Formats: sequence, C-alpha cells, structure tokens
Amino acid sequence: MKKTAFALLLFFWASGLEAQTPFYQGKTMTIVVGTKAGDVYDLYARLLAQHLPKNIPGNPNIIVQNMPGAAALIAANHVYNVAKPDGLTIGAIYPALYFDQVIGRKEVNFDWSKFAWIGSPVTSNHLLYMRADSPYRSMADVVKASEPPKCGATGTTSTAYYVPKLLDQVIGTNFNIVAGYQAGQDIDLAVERGEVVCRAFTITAFFAREPFTTWRKKGFVRVLMQTGRKRDPRLPDVPTIYELMDQYKSPEAARRLATLILAAGVFGRPYVLSPNTPADRVNIVREAFAKAMKDEAVLADAQKKKLEIDATFGEELEALAKEVSSQPAEIVERMRKMLGM
Amino acid sequence: MIDAFVSGFWQVLAWPAFGYLLIGIAVGFFVGLLPGLGGLATLALMLPFSYTIKQPVEAFCFLLGMLAVTGTTGDITSILFGIPGEGSSAALILDGYPMSKRGEAGRALGAAITSSVFGAMVGALSLALSIPIMRPLVLLFGSPELFIIAIMGVTFIGTLAGASLLKGLLAGGVGLMLAAIGVDPQTGSLRYTFGSLYLWDRLDIIPVVVGLFAIPEIVDLAVRGTSISEVPKTKLVGVIEGVKDTFRHFWLTVRCSLIGVYFGVLPVLGANVAQWIAYAHGVQGVKDAGKGAVEGVLGPGAANNSTRGGDLIPTVAFGIPGSGSMALLLGALLIVGLNPGPEMLKQHLDVTFAMVWVLIIANLIVAGLCFLILNQLAALTFIRGSLLIPFLLFFVFIGSFTANNSLADLIATLIFGVAGYFMVLYGWPRPPLILGLILGKIAENYLWISTAAYGSKWLLFPSVIILIIITIVIVAYPTIKERRGRARYERPDDAI
Repeated sequence: MKKTAFALLLFFWASGLEAQTPFYQGKTMTIVVGTKAGDVYDLYARLLAQHLPKNIPGNPNIIVQNMPGAAALIAANHVYNVAKPDGLTIGAIYPALYFDQVIGRKEVNFDWSKFAWIGSPVTSNHLLYMRADSPYRSMADVVKASEPPKCGATGTTSTAYYVPKLLDQVIGTNFNIVAGYQAGQDIDLAVERGEVVCRAFTITAFFAREPFTTWRKKGFVRVLMQTGRKRDPRLPDVPTIYELMDQYKSPEAARRLATLILAAGVFGRPYVLSPNTPADRVNIVREAFAKAMKDEAVLADAQKKKLEIDATFGEELEALAKEVSSQPAEIVERMRKMLGM
Repeated sequence: MIDAFVSGFWQVLAWPAFGYLLIGIAVGFFVGLLPGLGGLATLALMLPFSYTIKQPVEAFCFLLGMLAVTGTTGDITSILFGIPGEGSSAALILDGYPMSKRGEAGRALGAAITSSVFGAMVGALSLALSIPIMRPLVLLFGSPELFIIAIMGVTFIGTLAGASLLKGLLAGGVGLMLAAIGVDPQTGSLRYTFGSLYLWDRLDIIPVVVGLFAIPEIVDLAVRGTSISEVPKTKLVGVIEGVKDTFRHFWLTVRCSLIGVYFGVLPVLGANVAQWIAYAHGVQGVKDAGKGAVEGVLGPGAANNSTRGGDLIPTVAFGIPGSGSMALLLGALLIVGLNPGPEMLKQHLDVTFAMVWVLIIANLIVAGLCFLILNQLAALTFIRGSLLIPFLLFFVFIGSFTANNSLADLIATLIFGVAGYFMVLYGWPRPPLILGLILGKIAENYLWISTAAYGSKWLLFPSVIILIIITIVIVAYPTIKERRGRARYERPDDAI
C-alpha cells in the first residue's frame, strides 16, 4: 500500500514536472523537404519554420533540411523509417506519393495511412488550358476529335501527365501526351511555339505569374476543365471534372478512380510526422499548425511571398489517407493502366 | 529606347542598388571559387534574404550580380587546381591546369578573366540587341531543332577525343549510356537504378564532373609530392600576357562568346554544354591542345559567361525561364513585385536594360578585383602540394554534397574519382564522357518529344535540314583539313 502510494506520488510529481517544462522547450525540430531549396514546397516549409515555433509550447527552434530525390520518395521513406518517432522531424512531401503505394512500387517503404498527418497549407486544384486557336473549344470537342490534342508533360508522375490521362478514363477523351519536357516552363514555351497545345497544372500558378497573365489578357489560351469539387471563383465558366462526369454519365468505377487520383489535390503540400510519434506531440504540432494557418502575421507573410493559404488540417488528411490507401483490385488495376504501368 | 538604356544604367548605380550589387558580387566571388558549390544552389540559399529587399532592381542587382560572377571566379579554381569551380567551368581544366603546371598560371588566369569579361559583354550586348527580335528568336527552336543541336554536340566528342579517336568515341558512348540511368520520363520505367532511389533522378552532373576531374588531379599532386607548378617560382609568366592573348585571338573569343549566348537562349542546354562546344571550337586545329594551349582557356572562359545574357532572353521575352537558375531568379522577382514577361519589353524596358548593365558592371568589378589579386592567387600553385591537398579534398566533397544534400553524391564523387584516375592513367579522355552524359538525356527526350508531337514529319522541317547539314560540315571539316595536308599529331600518352 505504501509502495503504491509512493509510486503514485512519484508519478504525479513527474507529470507535474513535465507540465512545467514542455517537451519542445530547448529542442530543435527539422522540416525535411523532399525538394531542392527554392521550390514551392520549400518556400512553404520555410514559411512554417518561421511561424510554427511561437505556436508550440516551449518555442522550439525549427530548421529546414532539403532532401530532394525520386519525387520526394526519399524524404517520405526517411521520415517514415529513419527519423526517430519523437515528434522532432516533420516531413514535407509530395501529395501524390500514395500513387506509388497503391500501384505497388516496391521502393515505397511507408504506409500512407499510418503517417501522423499535420495538415497542408493549401489545396492544389488543377486546370487544363488549351490554346485558343486550336480546334478544341470545349471538352466536348476533345471527346469528339478525330485527331486528339497534344498535351505537354514532364514525366509520368506529374500532374500534366495524370490529369489528361484521368480524363481519358472518365469521360472518354484520348489525349496525346507528349512527355519528356524538362520542366513546366518548357511546356509553356512549347505551347507558345505550337508544338503542343495544352497542359494541366495548378490553378494558383495560372493566376500568379507570367506567361499566364499575358495569355489571359490576350485570350491566347482557354481553360477547359478544373478539378475542384466546386468551381474556382476565378474560373466561374469552366466546368469541373465532376460536372463533366455527370454530363458523360461516367461509370462508378471511373468515379472512384477520379476520387482516388484527385485526392492528391486535397493533400496539397502536406506535412507529416513519423507513424509512431506519441499522440500528445502529434496534437501539439497539429494545433500549432492550425493556429499558424489562422494567424494574421502568417497570412500577411504568405501573401507577400505569393504563397496561397487555404489549409486542410490533420484529422481530415488522416481520414483521407486511410480512404485512398485501401482500394479494390479493380481500381488499382485501372490506376496502373492509367499510369502506364 | 536610348532613354531606357541610360535610365537602366543609373538605376543600377543608384544607392542602395549598387550596394546590393556589391554584396552579390562578394558572395558570387567565393561561391565561384569553391568547387562544386554552384550558382544555382547559392541562389536558392540567398533567396530568403532577397525577401527583405523592396525594389526589383535592387533584388536582381543582388541575385543576378551574384550569378554573373560565379562563372568568372569558377574558372580560377579550374585553372589553378584542376578542380572545377563550377560545373560550367570544367572545360577550363583541360588546358588551364597544364598551364599552371608549367608555371603559367598567371597567364592562364589573365586570359580566363579577360575572356570572361568579353563573354559577359557579348552576352549583355546580345540581350540588349535582341530586344526587338526576342520572341521570334526564342520560338525558332522547337524540340526537333533541339534534338539535332544535341546530336551536333555529340559529334564534338570526336574533337574532344584528343589523341585516340576510338577511345574518345568509346568514352562518349559510356557517357551516353550513363545518361540512360534513371526514371524514363516517357513511360516511367526504371532504368539501371539497381533498387537505389538516388539513381531515379539520373546522375547529377556535379558529383560526376568533380569526381572525374578533381580526384585524379589531387591524387596526382599527392604522388608527385611537389607543388602544382612543376617549375620553380622564378618569375610568374605575367597576367598581362594572358590579357594580350585574348586580343591576339580576338575573333575566337567573340565566336565562343556567341556560342555561349546561343546555348543560353536554347532551353535546357546552357553553360554546361556551351563550355565544351566552345572548347572544342577553340582548340580545333591547335597543336598543343590539352597541353596548355591558351585557346582552350579563352573559348570556355568566354562562353560560360556569355550564356548568362542568353539565358535572360527567354525569361524576359516570355516570362518563361530558360534555366534552373533563371526560374529561381524569376521567383525572387515575383516576390519583389516584378513580373518578368512581355511587358519587360515595353513599360519596363528600363528594367531590362538595368539587367544588361548588371551583367556588365558586375563582371567589370569582379575582373578588376581579380586582377588585383591574380598574382597572389597564382602563387598558390607554388605552395607544397601536401599543404593544399586537405583543403582541396574538403572543398571537393562539400561541393559535391551541396548538389542534392545526399550522402550518395559523395559516393558518386568517389566512384567517378576512381574511374577518372584510371582514365588518366590509361589515356582515356574524360570530356567525351561528360558531354555524352549531359547530351544523352537531352537528345533522348527531344527525340521522343519530336516524334510524339510530329510523327516523322519533323525530319523534313527546313530548320532541321539546315542544322543536319551544318552538323555534317562540322564532322567533315577536320577530314577536309587533313586532306589539305595538315600534319597529324599523335600523342598517345597525354589524354585529356
């Protein structure tokens, strides 16, 4: 009895001590970014590194470490397996990495559904632009076309590749995808030259910079489709892929594939912790992230750096991650086919 | 237009823009000197600092000024130590380092710096002069044209082969094969990755170049046990001699500068390719090529600087960056409220001219600075090797590591270091391997794109046919020259 009381006393004393000095006090956290410095993922991570500490009890120091390679697969594997699950290493990874898991790439050493999800500062919905002087004035024209339009893409894991491929699957287009461009800007240049006529990429970028400002002003391109659930206020006349699926009466399996692929947009530019991180620390970081996303100072800083904030939070991403990770064989097969596996 | 030209000049010289330019130059100076650590990586690191800058002109004074001088000071490291200061300075090793070994470091440096300034001027002038024709100029080169240009580059392997053509071609072939490593962008299949994620992204050029060129030289220095210079420090062959060399080969320098501009305008190719083409052009028909011919210093020295001007052309004309570093620069300019694009040719013409001036002024300042310390720098080649080696090795590995912050980069450096050592030992030329590695990827991608976009029709494009004819002429030129009775020289022992 005496022993139990002593143990209890010790326990309360210890926990009281813990309450006095928060875990994160005097610690250094690292955000491992799966891209090179200067990339948009990196810019968001540096914004967070600057503003998260004041929202975490103990005000830890946060540094950014770039770990580029294999489309952020290296960084994701690192955070999942190598980093200690102590809540000090945050991963900033690509939102579409679960594709590799679903289609069963053996290089994937993580389970997407088991990451501890912190949130994403932005939802990245996509659009498909088409040169205005091409014969394709709407998606209907593309579906009917005897000679399909040529869309530029970098590699098979890029938005520019899988968005048109998805349209082929769900509404029966037959895009000719010209892959191999070095970077997105090379595709834009190829569109200027008329080598290709279309490209799919994020709505944010389309409204943020050249050459798109000039293109929009001159009516050089036309936006044929967007991938958000709702129409973007900046694109009120452009149908969403969901509207198109209704219009073309896409079968259930195709819709499931669309949901699965487009979830990447919801994951946005996601932050994760290692799967076995203690729940209380996950909560601390999640709360800090949520607070930062509503902080006026953060919003002002983001606006100055031309980074859009439209956050999704940990719980929602966690649920979505569970949903996308388990797919029936039929959908997996469709996805493999779509990605050219 | 003249108003804008003058206004651009004063905007750069105004305070605090000029102060930012000086800071940029100071940073670029050291980044250029340090092996491996390149302009691109540094630009990314410096990006956050530019956020606090208010005016666009001030921002690019800092960033573009920095970028402009890395090419110049990168040449210095290549010449003095045989270690590429920048990925785009590797070609200067071939003749610059042998010059240092025979005690002519001063002359080589003088030639490199003067030709760099030359190149920068030609680049800046091309940027200024091309303003009226920028858009059609950039649109001239589609994927089929880029493919043929890449093939044209591959044919230069023959010129870079040095003593043994067969060995050169084989080394080039190995380079092309190494270029196939990685995720193939057309189908997403993995080629030669052996389960390593590092190899997914294809071999990074920095660790390969640094390994191939730096490690063998360091080993050689250690084995010789002397200083870099093999002749005693009696009297440095003067810097002035190098300056004079530039003027002696005035048209060569101009031509190589134009090569640089041309490759700068072309997407993807840039300074990494331009230096080799300019080198090959520079030493064509030169007897002691690879043994310390000053032409081999002037060519790449001019070309890797003039690409910067060419690089800016698509960026300004379309708001579409022509290279990785331009993409970063563009990002920084967006943040300070300048949206490069067609309006740069109209409302903001003065800002465009300010960019031209930054290129010119930055290079003039850094050249002046270099000339002040060149003799001291050249003196480094007379220091005992054993004192230099630890520092060189340290910087070589730091430089390689910064390419991707990956341990695998260090392993790649070591592997290519060993390969480079044996290549030198057995007389296999290294430049063809590098050129094959760089161009293999470009040629493959653009062949695919051309075929996917045009079927086989692209083969009959007039521009393609013209480029094919030019390529054939380039290939046939040495043979024709030989037939005219020029003495061939064989030097089996000194592969470059």
